[in-house]
Formats: sequence, C-alpha cells, structure tokens
Amino acid sequence: MKYLVLLSLLLASTSALASGGFTWLGGLSHSLHIPEHVVTFILSSVIFLIGGVIFRLKTKNVDESLVPDSGISFRNLVEVVGDGIYGLAKNTMGEKAARTYYPLLIFYFSFIFLNNIIGLVPGFMPPTENFNTGLALGIFIFIYYNWQGIKVQGVWGHIKHFMGPMIYMAPLIFVLEIISHAMRPLTLGLRIRGNMLGDHTVLAIFSDLVPYIVPIPFYVLGMFVCFMQAFVFTLLTMIYISMSVETHDHEEHAH
Amino acid sequence: MEANGLIAIGAAIAIGMAALGGTLAQGKAASAALEGIARNPEAQGKIFTPMLLGMALIESLVILGFVIAFMIQGQF
Repeated sequence: MKYLVLLSLLLASTSALASGGFTWLGGLSHSLHIPEHVVTFILSSVIFLIGGVIFRLKTKNVDESLVPDSGISFRNLVEVVGDGIYGLAKNTMGEKAARTYYPLLIFYFSFIFLNNIIGLVPGFMPPTENFNTGLALGIFIFIYYNWQGIKVQGVWGHIKHFMGPMIYMAPLIFVLEIISHAMRPLTLGLRIRGNMLGDHTVLAIFSDLVPYIVPIPFYVLGMFVCFMQAFVFTLLTMIYISMSVETHDHEEHAH
Repeated sequence: MEANGLIAIGAAIAIGMAALGGTLAQGKAASAALEGIARNPEAQGKIFTPMLLGMALIESLVILGFVIAFMIQGQF
C-alpha cells in the first residue's frame, strides 16, 4: 500500500517531468561531462550488482536454498525468471548448449530488462533508448558468437559454415551470409533502440496531454514492450549462438 | 519553406509504408500461428518461439524504416 501511494505520486508528477525535460540524473551527467544514458547505465549496473549480492546471500546456505520461499519474494522472482530463460534456452539450443551459455543469456535478459524498465520510472531515460547502448550489446554478441563458433568448430569449420551446402554456390552464398552477419549487431541495436524510443515517446506524449489516469494503459503497454524487447534480444542471441556452434552430426536429435 | 513541407511528407511516407508492410506481414504470421495453436493447442510452446522470431525479423525492417524517417526529419 505504501508503495502504491508512492507510485501514484510518481505517476502524477510525470507530466511536469516530461514537459519540463527534467531528469534525475541530468544534473549529474552535466557536471560529470558524460552522456546521460551512460550515467543511467552505471546506475542500473549498480542496482543489478546489489540485486545479485542480495540473491547470493539469500542462497548461501545450501540447506536453506533447497526450500523455496513462500509467497512472492525477491528470491522467487529471480528463480522464476531464471527458470523461464533456462527452459527457453533448452528448447532452442538443446540441453548441452543451454548449460554452457546460460550465464550469458540470463545476464543479457535481466540486464536489458532492467535497463528498459528504468525508463518507465518518471524522470529517468532508459539507456537502451540510445543507439550506442544497443549497438554495444549487439557487437558484443557478434564477437562472442563468432568466437564460440571458431572455438567449437575450428577456423575452417566456422568459415565453411558461411558457404552453404553446395560448393559451386559458395561464392554467392558467402557474400550474402557475410552481409547478413554484419547486419546482425546493427539490427539488434536498432530494434531495441527503436522500440524503446517509440514506447517512451508515446508515454511522454500521452502523459503530456492528460497527466492523470490516461497514461496508465500506456505504462502497461510499456512494461510489455520492455519485457518483449529483452526477450526478443535474448531469443535472437540464443539462435545466433546455436547456429554458429551447431555441429552437423544428427545423433543428438533422438526424439 | 516548401522544401520543409516536402521533407515532412517524405518522413511520414517512409515510416507509414514501412509500418504498412510490416503490419501486413506480422498479421499474416500471427494468424498462421493462431490457426496452428487453435488446431493443436498442445503445440503452443513450440509455435510461439519461431513466431516471435519471425516477427522480430519482420519488425527489424520496419525499424530501419523508422530510423530512415528519423534521419529525413533531421534534415530540417
């Protein structure tokens, strides 16, 4: 109830914040001479670290960590998210790859989700609204899946992966594949940037028009978009990694 | 003055046509997926992920259109 009152106070002050262009971290970014999305990114990293430490402390004792908490607690929420992403990874990549790449995937999902959702708090700009953030995340994925492909299949195996099944089609397919691979970090970054910018703009415009009640559906929509974009980013990461590390023996598919 | 108006129309057409094509394609994907789920509700989990993937890939072109519109608008 206390949080609800706080939340409604924050919501009521949205329009003033949106129209005045005020942000909580704007002054800090101005005095430190670093862009605002970087300051917000650092803030969300700190929140993320604190959350991780809290979760770690709660599950430190092995006997206690076997028994789940009752009701909605921080630990249960984290476990629901973790379990969901693990199930998805298992369906998309197979059990072995899911186990190997799970830390990266869960980090990406929860970190992007946190970075998206911080934009719904009035007076904060989501870091993912800036193209540079999305591009940085996308380029890291690009480097990572190429590295993993080379590690698992060897340099030649990884290059052969670009060439398609038939050798006489290889020059054509090679060029197409190179272009589509080079587009991947760009589209990952642009997708998250465009969606967050559009969502944030809609929210700002509607809370500018009518400050009370009316923006609430757009907050719900915003939460959905935040979740969906983090989800899609993680899903595409899974697909890219599993495409580049898949080996061509079909014995594993015994179902 | 006149050029500014034309730029605005150009930006609107860019995002409008991108959104038109994207929504048509996404509607087709969603309808096919829903039909599949309606015929076989147990396959929901298996259909959902590829559907999302297809939608994300369709949407990426719409977002490229959005970026183009933004760039055109920046010409003012």
